[in-house]
Amino acid sequence: MATYAEMQEIFDDIRRDFRYEHELNGCLNCGICTATCPSAQFYDYSPREIVQLLWTENVEQVYDAMQEKIWACAQCMTCAARCPFKNSPGGLVAIMREVAIKHGMQSAKDVLRPFGRVMLKLITTGNQLSPDMIQPDHFPDWGPNIQKVEGDLKTLRKAIPMKTLQTTDTAWEVSLKTSVEMYTIWEDTGVLKQLETMDENLFDVIEDFIDEKREEYEEWREEHEESEA
Amino acid sequence: MSETKGIAGHGAFFQPTNLSAEDARKATAWVEKVIDKRAVELGERMDDVRDHMWELEKEGEIIVHRITDAHKPVMVKTLFGWDKKIPTSQLWHHKSCGQCGNIPGYPTSLLWTMNGLGMVPGRDYLDETDQTSCTAWNYHGSGIGNVESLAAVFLRNFHQAYVSGKKLGHQPGHFYPLVHCGTSFGNYKEVRKYLVENATLRERVKKILGKLGRLVDGKLVLPEEVVHYSDWVHVMRNEIVSRLQKIDVSKLRVTVHMACHYSKMVHEDAIYDPEVMGGNRAATGTGMAQALGAQVIDYSTWYDCCGFGFRHIISEREFTRSFTIDRKIKVAREEANADLMLGIDTGCITTMDKNQWIGKAHEQQYSLPIMADIQFAALACGADPFKIVQLQWHASPCEEVVEKMGISWDDAKKKFEAYLQDVKAGKIEYLYDPKLADSMARAA
Repeated sequence: MATYAEMQEIFDDIRRDFRYEHELNGCLNCGICTATCPSAQFYDYSPREIVQLLWTENVEQVYDAMQEKIWACAQCMTCAARCPFKNSPGGLVAIMREVAIKHGMQSAKDVLRPFGRVMLKLITTGNQLSPDMIQPDHFPDWGPNIQKVEGDLKTLRKAIPMKTLQTTDTAWEVSLKTSVEMYTIWEDTGVLKQLETMDENLFDVIEDFIDEKREEYEEWREEHEESEA
Repeated sequence: MSETKGIAGHGAFFQPTNLSAEDARKATAWVEKVIDKRAVELGERMDDVRDHMWELEKEGEIIVHRITDAHKPVMVKTLFGWDKKIPTSQLWHHKSCGQCGNIPGYPTSLLWTMNGLGMVPGRDYLDETDQTSCTAWNYHGSGIGNVESLAAVFLRNFHQAYVSGKKLGHQPGHFYPLVHCGTSFGNYKEVRKYLVENATLRERVKKILGKLGRLVDGKLVLPEEVVHYSDWVHVMRNEIVSRLQKIDVSKLRVTVHMACHYSKMVHEDAIYDPEVMGGNRAATGTGMAQALGAQVIDYSTWYDCCGFGFRHIISEREFTRSFTIDRKIKVAREEANADLMLGIDTGCITTMDKNQWIGKAHEQQYSLPIMADIQFAALACGADPFKIVQLQWHASPCEEVVEKMGISWDDAKKKFEAYLQDVKAGKIEYLYDPKLADSMARAA
């Protein structure tokens, strides 16, 4: 359990985000946000409650809500479209999630564990999913009609008439130069730091991968410069 | 309950006003003038971020990637009656990772339609490898990422769109980004707003973009409009129908699911059209279905999200499948007796398409073909259900709707299976010269 000072620091971090002023403008407790919220129908979650806790600066309850409730939000932003005050409860939840990660909250680590594969794909390739991640045997709940034509994945992907889509381990072919530029973005915006806080092993794997790709790109550049000369 | 009998309003005491036709028109005109729902929030309370963007350009802070006459723009109205310019040519396809990975018939149907309208690859559109996803699916799902990373990714991709035509002999700005994904569309609109409003954010990302060599004259490049592919489909719908439609779809009962990140995020930017659902719903998707002559059937849960949830479709699948069955598939089948549900976004189509069969576990046996507006349009225009529309990747019973359109699913399947042998032998048919896609070759 965090001390009051730690909870206050977390709350202050939420309020320091420049979007906070955009997303929270007041609240009359009208409940329109909760009435239209898909997650409120399934979870112990209410966007109205999130807004009220922040609006009344209830530091301890905000901390409590960050244990589980904020992860129920589906981020559809229906609440934001409906709020007469132009609040964005979904936007506030996004800020709270970022702060939960920054502070390495155990709840965030637990919730994000199944995301490892997506994270690895995203950080290393700039794609968020790939055909080989969504094969029928990974999703038995999608039913037997998931693949209407028999065939190996590689051939089926080659039969897509766009060159960029004939891939199996990325959604589309991303050039090496593009990926390398992306790594700079991850480093310079603190995303890799976030990852390190959440999952050190995953971070190590990703770092090795990035080093390898950078070397590959340097080799390509040298070869290209030689052929130019 | 009150015994009072009013002459208007809702509920049990509703009575017809018995006004003459002329008086009814007058009354309606007064109501529309005074409480037009678009006027309620309009103008005074809402800032148009584009005005501030032009000011920033004037002050020399940014360069705005303009939509010029060469992009053959069409003007549309958005939620509050504002104008939005939609380019219809010289487009840079900003692909969607969910579509390309999971629903490849989505982008192929779009490019096939563009080819059918006479657009020339390399001149009128470009599909290339120098792009990343917007990364917003991950951000909304996991919280990993931040405004700065989202903004840098946005500006990097859009800068590439701006300069992408160079090696093909085109001027900067020749190709204008056409965003395929609804999540990317919502995210980019939001991030553009933050960039325009926040000088500190601009300063921070400018350093990164500078390091990447992604500034023009030392400035950030921002787009005049963020344009979704469904915006393009909407403004081209009549041309698609008049020039390409081959199959009558008037017997089909179609429901439409509007993507949340198209119409609810930065909602002032979504297209509304008085001729589509009386202007009461965002127009894209529905407009295309109407133009094709399908019967568009309304349903009570039209405003609900699909249940995708970003994180939920991966790790809270019980929520995703329950929500989509209860609030979308079941309602579309029971209320609307729909033959088909159309979507305009990646996540929604994936969610609704893949989460039907599992309903059997709770005796919720509802099934409904799910596809994108442009896939349906391509089918109606004679596209091959496998080679082009790539329906083999859908889990929902798309074969049913194909048969209802008078296309033999079995014949098309046999033809495609034979084509797979050609593919194995290296004889692949492309929508464009594959050399155009290689951005590193073009950069070299």
